[in-house]
Amino acid sequence: MPGDSEAGAGQVGPDEAWGLSSSLTPPDTMCTPEETSLLQVEETFLALLGRINTLVFQPLLLAEEPSNVKDQECLRLLLQLSEQYQHLWDLTQVSLRTLRQRLNSPATIGLHTLHLLHSSDLFLDAYRQYFVIYTSCVAVQTFQKATRKKSEFWRSQRKALKQFLTNVTLETSGAAGLPHVLCQPLTDHVQQYVLILLRLGDAVGEHHSARELAIQAADRFVTLQSFIRRALDEASATQALWEMLGSRLGDALCTADRRLLLDSQEVPAVASPVRADRVLLFNDVLVLLQGHSFQTFDLKLVWVDGRHNKKQMSNRYGFHVITPEEEFSLSAKDAQGKACWLSKVSQAICQALRGKRDIPVLEQDQDQEGAEPPASRCCLYTFRTEDRLRLATYDGSWFWGKPHGKGTLKWPDGRNHVGDFHQGLEHGFGIHLVPHGAEDKYNCYKCHWREGQMQGYGICEYANESVYKGYFRDNMRQGFGVLESSPQAPQPFKFIGHWDRDKKDGYGVLEDKDRGERYIGMWQADHRHGQGIVVTQSGICYQRTFHVDKMVGPGILLLEDDSLYEGSFTRDLAYTGKGKITFPNGYFLKASFSTGVGKGFHTQGVLETTAHPLDPMHTCKRQLGLEAFPVESRWQGIYQQFREFIHSNCPEDAQEAFLGFHVQTAKELRKSQEYLFCDRSNPDEVSAKIKDVLAELPTHQDPESLQLYLQKALKSSAHPLGKLVKLLTLAFQATYSGFGANKHLLGLAQEEVKHHAQEIWAFYQGLLRVALERQGQIQEEREDTSESHPEAYRLVLPIILPCFYPELFMLYMLYHEKEDNLYSQGIADLSLFPDTKLLECLDVQRHLWPLKDLTLTTNQRYSLVRDKCFLSATECLQKIITTVDPREKLEMLEKTYVEIENTVSRVLEREHKLPMDDLLPLLIYVVSRARIQHLGAEIHLIRDMMDPIHRGGLYDFLLTALESCYEHIQKEDMRLHRLAGVHNQKALW
Amino acid sequence: MMAIRELKVCLLGDTGVGKSSIVCRFVQDHFDHNISPTIGASFMTKTVPCGNELHKFLIWDTAGQERFHSLAPMYYRGSAAAVIVYDITKQDSFNTLKKWVKELKEHGPENIVMAIAGNKCDLSDIREVPMKDAKEYAESIGAVVVETSAKCAINIEELFQGISRQIPPLDPHENGNNGAIRLGKQTPQASRRCC
Repeated sequence: MPGDSEAGAGQVGPDEAWGLSSSLTPPDTMCTPEETSLLQVEETFLALLGRINTLVFQPLLLAEEPSNVKDQECLRLLLQLSEQYQHLWDLTQVSLRTLRQRLNSPATIGLHTLHLLHSSDLFLDAYRQYFVIYTSCVAVQTFQKATRKKSEFWRSQRKALKQFLTNVTLETSGAAGLPHVLCQPLTDHVQQYVLILLRLGDAVGEHHSARELAIQAADRFVTLQSFIRRALDEASATQALWEMLGSRLGDALCTADRRLLLDSQEVPAVASPVRADRVLLFNDVLVLLQGHSFQTFDLKLVWVDGRHNKKQMSNRYGFHVITPEEEFSLSAKDAQGKACWLSKVSQAICQALRGKRDIPVLEQDQDQEGAEPPASRCCLYTFRTEDRLRLATYDGSWFWGKPHGKGTLKWPDGRNHVGDFHQGLEHGFGIHLVPHGAEDKYNCYKCHWREGQMQGYGICEYANESVYKGYFRDNMRQGFGVLESSPQAPQPFKFIGHWDRDKKDGYGVLEDKDRGERYIGMWQADHRHGQGIVVTQSGICYQRTFHVDKMVGPGILLLEDDSLYEGSFTRDLAYTGKGKITFPNGYFLKASFSTGVGKGFHTQGVLETTAHPLDPMHTCKRQLGLEAFPVESRWQGIYQQFREFIHSNCPEDAQEAFLGFHVQTAKELRKSQEYLFCDRSNPDEVSAKIKDVLAELPTHQDPESLQLYLQKALKSSAHPLGKLVKLLTLAFQATYSGFGANKHLLGLAQEEVKHHAQEIWAFYQGLLRVALERQGQIQEEREDTSESHPEAYRLVLPIILPCFYPELFMLYMLYHEKEDNLYSQGIADLSLFPDTKLLECLDVQRHLWPLKDLTLTTNQRYSLVRDKCFLSATECLQKIITTVDPREKLEMLEKTYVEIENTVSRVLEREHKLPMDDLLPLLIYVVSRARIQHLGAEIHLIRDMMDPIHRGGLYDFLLTALESCYEHIQKEDMRLHRLAGVHNQKALW
Repeated sequence: MMAIRELKVCLLGDTGVGKSSIVCRFVQDHFDHNISPTIGASFMTKTVPCGNELHKFLIWDTAGQERFHSLAPMYYRGSAAAVIVYDITKQDSFNTLKKWVKELKEHGPENIVMAIAGNKCDLSDIREVPMKDAKEYAESIGAVVVETSAKCAINIEELFQGISRQIPPLDPHENGNNGAIRLGKQTPQASRRCC
């Protein structure tokens, strides 16, 4: 730094020489005398600055290496001060240069070119900076400290220093004058600027373009003067305070930038309920002194409330102070005192929040003096005492002393919360990290919070890489949720089901990928407990009672060869104790079983070989779990969220928490998509925001529009209805896909799908009710509260069925596998028959044969043509596999019948109504020609999913007729085969 | 407003005895408010008043051929009534009728109302089955019996009135499990998942 100042000093020489020479030139007549005097003032000032630099700054900065922190701080301040001093010096030189240029050729160079005029803000800033640092030096007594060591030298300089000061009598101590030397010449100069600029403004006259500039500059310097006065006052008051407080307290509180703004010894104020002898307001903190201890409060986190509505306020001249961890009141003696404290504190808070601590009050700030500090602020704070937040650091938005808005909270133990806060608590969406053990691993909760607790939908990625997606309550897993291990885990698993206080509880499905097993059943406190079904990869399936993970009592074991074991067995499927095996051929073995040592199992019992007619419902068609898991209670946890949402009247702020994601309003959506190149959404897509949903619902009440709306809503995963379907699909797939594709579970599955339709309908009605209520329409309570809603079948089921169809149809296929195989054989055999032969075999009356439809080429005979008769009906029937909607399938079926009748009418050339005697054979013919795969599965799926309103009606009849054809083809099989062999070999081959 | 009861009625009888003719006559001869969906002559509906109720007959035809006998249970399950038709000029058809009655007693729905129709009574000169035999038989099984002629529209109406009378009136406090189906609301039915 000394080098720098030398360079600065070196600059002076030539400039001064140049300045002197030009000052000899007489001023131009165009110039005002003020400009000339300004020139003189600047020249004198520059010379003064040079001398001060040489005599004061250079020796001051020649200090030896600072030995302690305080000295370092001291030197740092002096260096800063010197830097600003150089800056001022440079500015003054530029000012002088512009003055000279102007004076040399006043005709060409205008008044406004003066640096002092057009860049007065630069001067203002430079002086302000200088005095900020200067006052810091004063406050912390930098000059005294710096001169103490070399007091001898400074005493000798006494005379030299005195020349800079005009009307100050110097004390005996050598260095005492030093601070004045660094201050007074500059303040004097500013004073001269003001005087000259004001005169200049007057002199140039009202219409001069530079007049504005001159007046503005003068104003600015007046402001600067008041700033300097105030800064000096504050600095000396602060310095006096530090001295008064003594070294211990003083050192603890003293910082270079800190200034005392108000002292309770000056304007009395008492704090309560905290005890304090003295209250000090600084520019950055509020301090309560009590004996030798003190409490500081960062002003950025201080809120004051001067309203009188606080009843607990003992003194009516009091006001409330709120900080993150303390709340107290300050009471003044009188109204004036209160006003003084309130305004000073508020003003100090405003300034502290503006954050530029090195630029304190300027005159223009006083406009804002009355302004209230904002209630909502953003800053960082480390909690000291509060239990939950001890030593935690919060960085983010605050509101009246509490974290509120977006923020980050970090605990010293590594916990970390980023998200929304409300009244000091986590509230809204947040990501919470909890370090796990010594490893660099975390449990990561991405979750919705409510008053500091995890609540609603969330995702937790655990340190062991398993992931939970589901609902929480009071920081614990509660309700419906899916826990899945990482695929690399030693024992990979996936649990989908219900939770209670963080543990698996209630109905749930656990897939143990290691054992190749799926458990479907009841849980309690993380254990299998109650009724349970296990299905294995190899197709074995059993139902048992579990007690804390152990199987107890007898169970039912269904093997893949359709044999049945009733009794007790181990988890590895070894039979133990008394039991009964029923073989697929109807034999059964009643025996007692035991595992032998290493040689399979031993048994002793009676084998019953009298052929019993075997009830298929008992073995191969046996359905498990129907009584054990009533369908209404199976997926309670999923419905529950939706029911609660309705019951609480669909609060908008809860929607996100319950759906688990952010939903946009239609408006936002449109806006966000304006920028997209391709519009991914259908323009008339349903909006998912609950407000829009509720507004839209009542407009879609007529059946047609309702159907369209439901179609869109149920397919949109952002819509509450669609979300429900999505969750239900998830649960359904987890149960019935993969290992779960077991024919013994068909009953559970089809019941579930139908029940889902009911629940979705009920949810829709709940939403509608809330929507109508919001519009002020009170809907009369429906008298019919029974569980079966025809709308569920008519409207909902066809829309949701595709979601469940793959798994459901697979179950139907497995269930009807045997029949379908027989049927396929029958179809294959019948397909060898030419049309006329087949019609004959089926005893279709000859006059009904559509021989007209057969166009023969010359070498063809009727008896050779295949797949030509009733083609339109056949093709129509084949279409039933192109849709999953049972109603559409039935419509296709109806068309098939119509086509048959049309064909017959055409043949007979008159309208003919077919009685069943004629229709059934024709239908068998059409079915055998349509060759639909898995027809048994199709028929039964249609029947189970059909709207019950059709029972006994036309559709039921049609379906029954189709089913009877299907049955007949299975039976007819062998006979036709024989017929074909004996009778008509010639025709066939 | 009168309650509409849907009644499934199943038509049984040998082929050629005129099962569907009877129904066609019943359905088409009279003015019917509801234009009913039909599948040819195989499925027909007709609504008639009975007391303070309306009975909507859902009439299911079956194939009479011997080879399709085994399929009949699919058709008559859930029926409230069965109309068993024989041809008074064919003793064989009366024998078949007896077989049907026996089968219904054993495998049919409980409390099924049976109605015996001796069709083609216009051809009584070539009658093979005496009226007396039919009446005695019907009495022994508690069935409605009439001799009808679909051709001449004799006793067709009476046949179905007979059935209506035999259907026990609906007890509003109880879902009578007599196979009747109320509109819009299903009777709890044993879950059926077998073919």
